[in-house]
Amino acid sequence: MFKSRMKFWIVAAVAVALMLGAAPGQSLAQSQEKVIKIGTIFPLTGPVALAGQRCKAAVETAVDILNNKNPKIKVPLADKKGWLEGYKFVLVHTDSQGKPDVGKAEAERLINQEGVWAIIGAYNSSVSMPASLVAERAKKIFMCGASSSAALTQRKEMKYFFRTASTDEVESQEFVDVLQWLNKTQKNANIKTLGIIYENSVFGKNASQQAMKAAAAGKLQVVADVPFNPGATNLDSEVQTLKSKNPDALFGAVLGADYALMVKTMKKMNWVPKVSLNYCSGYQDPVISKQLGADADFFMGSTGYSPEFASMMPAVAEVEKIFKSKTGGVPYDSDSIQETIAMLVLAQAIEKAKSLDPTKVAETLHANTWPSPLSLSGKVAFVPGGQNKYALSIVTQLQGGKYKKVFPTDKADTKPVFPMKPWDKR
Amino acid sequence: MDTLLQVLLDGMLNGMLYALVAVGLCLIWGVMDVINFAHGEYVMISMYVTYWLGFLANVDPLISMFAGGLFIFILGALTYRLIIKYTIGKPPLSALLATFGLAMLLKNLCLNQFTPNYRILSDTWLGDRTFQLGAIIVPVPQLVTAALALVVIGLVFFMVRSTRFGWAVQATAMDKEAAELMGINTERIYLLVFGIGGATVGIAGGVMPTYLAVHPEVGTMFSLIAFICVAMGGFGSIPGALVAALLVGIVEALAGYYIAPVFKYVAVFGLYLALVLLRPKGIFGW
Repeated sequence: MFKSRMKFWIVAAVAVALMLGAAPGQSLAQSQEKVIKIGTIFPLTGPVALAGQRCKAAVETAVDILNNKNPKIKVPLADKKGWLEGYKFVLVHTDSQGKPDVGKAEAERLINQEGVWAIIGAYNSSVSMPASLVAERAKKIFMCGASSSAALTQRKEMKYFFRTASTDEVESQEFVDVLQWLNKTQKNANIKTLGIIYENSVFGKNASQQAMKAAAAGKLQVVADVPFNPGATNLDSEVQTLKSKNPDALFGAVLGADYALMVKTMKKMNWVPKVSLNYCSGYQDPVISKQLGADADFFMGSTGYSPEFASMMPAVAEVEKIFKSKTGGVPYDSDSIQETIAMLVLAQAIEKAKSLDPTKVAETLHANTWPSPLSLSGKVAFVPGGQNKYALSIVTQLQGGKYKKVFPTDKADTKPVFPMKPWDKR
Repeated sequence: MDTLLQVLLDGMLNGMLYALVAVGLCLIWGVMDVINFAHGEYVMISMYVTYWLGFLANVDPLISMFAGGLFIFILGALTYRLIIKYTIGKPPLSALLATFGLAMLLKNLCLNQFTPNYRILSDTWLGDRTFQLGAIIVPVPQLVTAALALVVIGLVFFMVRSTRFGWAVQATAMDKEAAELMGINTERIYLLVFGIGGATVGIAGGVMPTYLAVHPEVGTMFSLIAFICVAMGGFGSIPGALVAALLVGIVEALAGYYIAPVFKYVAVFGLYLALVLLRPKGIFGW
């Protein structure tokens, strides 16, 4: 049967190795390992893959901290003492491609086939919405870091859904506050009209609805309502529409490369509003000023974290070193840091509940205030529906490639450049 | 009136870019009856070639686009030699699925190698230059792209219509076996057609980093629009693809501005559907 003795020994060695590999002793050892499987759902490919990859790295950062002893890192459980000692968090990553149907299917697969204990995700509000319903039905905790649609936490019946980031409802109100403050403090500001540009998705639509609500309350007239298809080949019609309506202020819910295209198209058409405020979006991307250079300047937006905030959040520095090792040196942004926070808060809740019963841990999450040195407010607490009531953001303006804090005034470190400088005067 | 002229100009300039992307797809389909699903990924890879040459060696896209064209010529020829060749004579779906697989491979390869980061080339010769004609703003990079499109499409058209090689291409497209009996090396024709089709889209992708961000997903929408242009123009008709691309650009711009920006692709795909129903062979199809 075997043409040579060598062949026989190779086949025999492979057979023995296979038998050893399938030995019951080893699988028993594996099953006895104290493992908590966490599923992640992020857009790892598709138009917002960049943000998704960073969110994935952020959860991995948290798990690195939780699985190892890190006395230098000043976040809860970094010293690895307590009930969770001996447990290892294991991540199962999935790719939603930014598509709701794919994200929902991945949530089902994570729960039914991978047997995860909880899910973290999903960046896109449009994915978080159906995926969290899957988790809720299965009574699995869904920790949401960065999805900003207010509708997610308006579902008061949700018991297993928790979001750490701020919402577009809060941001819209904050933006209108900024406009009113500019009207009061800037000579001849006279901001009366508003334009809204947003991607045609759950995130964008919710942002625009909240913007309209806040604008109505702030007596601003919405003169341009401009949704667009993400990943479009150009934004000419969109910016042309804005230019012809010429609103005093512009709110933008524009992600990733679309944000860069929007700014470049505004330059091409030689138009800027007096002030442009952006939801958690392409504006916050740490590479935006590197890629767009001076063109990125004078736009404003809400920011939960940027490296310029380091002095306000000293605990971030050590954690960010781990994060940067996974992203090729790119620091946290407002979105990705929320995913680390979400994972760390979940671990704290398991530790406090001393249980792996999801219902008990969910109740514990609701019942307590969690120290969170990576959050602007320093703490996290959830109201019914799962919104973090301490979620904060600061309005910043890009000046010389740096995110300068401009509002609220007690946290500001610089004055805003108002109105935005025209393209030919930069 | 000024706004209408501005919208029309933007639409025409975008249409010319679509035409430049579509002409290669049109050529490949016309000769080989193969829809190359990886066409958008060719655009994307060529954009990366230009970007990296600009970023690392400070070569302007106006020069490096030829390197992009050459790179995609080779990639196209390799695609034929290693994949398409084995699907010739098989059910049409096999070539379609094979190029779909290639598209996935190329996209994920770039995602893996270059990350999803979008990259913008700054300080290019054309930069963000514009000039004004009355109240109309004319963007120079898009204008140069349109001129380039006319030259490239003209050259391809001339090559197919007026050269011995072009006659051989036409003969191969009409009847492969008869062409072989006349002594035409159809294998070589197929290889070169795939390469030339790739080179044209390589030049399109090569010039695009002047005004568009480069990232692994950038080719997706261009691929779809190129397919529509080719189908509307009549599969295999180069003038048809040009006219259809201009039509797509203008309809997109008019619908986007006068109806609603979110409606622009609805109008484009609606036009495509209507045209396919009324004239299934396309504007210049026969």
